[in-house]
Amino acid sequence: MTEISSDEIGVADFAVREHRSLWIDAWRRLISNRTARLGMVVVSIFVLTTVFAHFFWEYDPRTDLDYSLKLKSPNLFPTEEVASIHPFGTDKLGRDIFRRVVHGGWNSLRVGLVAVGISLLIGGLFGLLAGFYESIGLSRAEKILLRVVIGLILGALPAWIAGQFYQALLFAALGLAAAVFDKFLAGKPTRVAFFAGIGLLIGGGLGLLVAPAVGLVCGVLGIAIGAVLSLPLGGTFFSSTVMRGMDIILAFPGYLLAIAIVAFLGPGLEKGMIAIGIVGIPVYARITRSSVLSVTQKEYILAAQSTGEGHSRILFRHIFPNILSPLTVQSTMGLAGAILSAAALGFLGLGAIPPTPEWGAMLGDSYKYLASGAWWAVVFPGVAIMLSVLGFNLLGDGLRDALDPKIQT
Amino acid sequence: MEDYLLEIKDLQTRFYTDEGIVNAVNGVSYGMEEGEILGVVGESGCGKSVHALSIMRLIPDPPGKIESGELYFYGRDLLDLSDNEMRDLRGEQIAMVFQDPMTSLNPVYTVGDQIMEALKIHLGMDNKQAGNRAAELLSLVGIPDAKQRVKDYPHQFSGGMRQRAMIAMALSCDPKLLIADEPTTALDVTIQAQIVDLVKRLQENLGMAVMWITHDLGIIAEIAHNVNVMYAGYIVERGSVRDIFKRTRHPYTIGLLGSLPRLDEAPGTKLASIPGLPPDLIALPPGCPFAARCTYAIDKCKEEMPQLEQTDGSDHIVACWRWEEIEEGISP
Repeated sequence: MTEISSDEIGVADFAVREHRSLWIDAWRRLISNRTARLGMVVVSIFVLTTVFAHFFWEYDPRTDLDYSLKLKSPNLFPTEEVASIHPFGTDKLGRDIFRRVVHGGWNSLRVGLVAVGISLLIGGLFGLLAGFYESIGLSRAEKILLRVVIGLILGALPAWIAGQFYQALLFAALGLAAAVFDKFLAGKPTRVAFFAGIGLLIGGGLGLLVAPAVGLVCGVLGIAIGAVLSLPLGGTFFSSTVMRGMDIILAFPGYLLAIAIVAFLGPGLEKGMIAIGIVGIPVYARITRSSVLSVTQKEYILAAQSTGEGHSRILFRHIFPNILSPLTVQSTMGLAGAILSAAALGFLGLGAIPPTPEWGAMLGDSYKYLASGAWWAVVFPGVAIMLSVLGFNLLGDGLRDALDPKIQT
Repeated sequence: MEDYLLEIKDLQTRFYTDEGIVNAVNGVSYGMEEGEILGVVGESGCGKSVHALSIMRLIPDPPGKIESGELYFYGRDLLDLSDNEMRDLRGEQIAMVFQDPMTSLNPVYTVGDQIMEALKIHLGMDNKQAGNRAAELLSLVGIPDAKQRVKDYPHQFSGGMRQRAMIAMALSCDPKLLIADEPTTALDVTIQAQIVDLVKRLQENLGMAVMWITHDLGIIAEIAHNVNVMYAGYIVERGSVRDIFKRTRHPYTIGLLGSLPRLDEAPGTKLASIPGLPPDLIALPPGCPFAARCTYAIDKCKEEMPQLEQTDGSDHIVACWRWEEIEEGISP
């Protein structure tokens, strides 16, 4: 092998000597952006106070009650009437609003993180797989797995009707057979007929063991499942199934769906988190899928494939880091949205159960006293909601600017 | 029969789109020997890249599908290999360089990381070995100060340097066949010449076979031993670079050569061009796909597809009803 000397090529000497990664560049852009800095300050104050309050300033809402201090206006110094200091005043049960706002922040932060975590994890995973398989296609092993899972999921319905759980396993096995022997029954009509027939046997046969009517229903279902399994199911099928599912969730108004889920699960802060998280899933799925679709068009994905890298490696090593920017932006904005949703649920009495301090619930408890002049009981939790949401939104905007791929080469 | 490195028999690749079936590659057959540099020329959309991706089995499926054919690489049909076997082959035995150096490196990893990838996957090297080898490879492709440069990110490389890095990646496992899919199209002319020189020199030193896909006949003349001229998914003429340039027999190739500017032409001479557009690959005409644009076309051309024929018993083959007349020097 001969080395080629560098002066032959005429590469300029002024090349940057620093090895800067995209993330470090983005961080520099972020801290040089005034809006983003403001957002970061607000978010840091919010996070630090609530975290410190939670760990170093004990508060037991169950015993916090003093009717003698009912609805006192804010005071920064002890007065004749009120010996203790209440910078934000007190509420209808004589509780210090400042303390409850600070501790309520912990709950808002938790709701935000858990809800966004749920949306991001589930939505992101669905979006990632949908986008990836839609554009790259399934390998043989993945095709087999897909059919087994479809068989299992679809088979669960007749299995549940007939009360014979192993029926679902039989359908999963049928899916396996359909995938493994996909070359044998080449003609399409024969293939559909063959698998529909076996579906009829599995569904109807096991259903008949229970009752003739069950046998009939399960037989029809079995035919349908067998026919579906015989179809050439690929990445596009997987992707559109997942995304249509997401569309169904999106079709419901967000708050309405969250309220319905809480109504189903029962009230409570944790249930609220789950509800808000589920409502957010389709947004993350869509963003992830669209980012994956655009990244997979890039030549480096083809280059990675031509290097002999496997699907999982391409997915997690090459695609995942490249879709982090839109997800980071969306998650930051999503935190703001989740805090707001939690407050809305709390306001309606569906989130945190009293006496847990929660901003929305505090608003809901106090707005009745606004007419009698107790503005502080409403304004301070309201301002807390506004500032935290604003902080995350500003930070999200700044992140969007900092991570905008258009600025990068 | 000779032992080919790569032998393709009747390769057909189609894309099933909403508009209809796109016949991208329509029965391509040829053989490539070890150490051969094969040029593949043709207009955009004539199936050059699709046929190369078919060899790698990287046609996105769906919508694409390798309909039929045999792809023997060292006597083994690539289409019979399992996904895993094929993956082991990619990058190790057959490597590929792509057109756009701006997007063919992943922006989130250092150039070194990406060269190391194949070394770790195929040769099982650890980070340290792979890192050293990556630096060696970078200096092999002529990047100065390679030890430092491996830690750079792609955006710190110029287009030409990125293409060199891509070549380093492709060569990392010492492949037997390098497929270069228009590697110089996106580069400016001086850099093009450097890349062509580099590949030529690397080929001489390392001895791998190179398939160079391009629409630039100048590069072909400079680098290739043999040439496949492709049109509408068919090979219309194939021969040694000398045959193609000096004893051109297919009207399409004549047209391609005619549309090159020449230095010895009188100033003010209009540059010739081939009139019309390539046929729609969804609805290919029944006869010769080039007939509609061909100045030599006769009625037979529009009805019946000419098969590839050997001319004067050599390896120079051509698919045209009138190649003998063209050889004798008739004008259209």
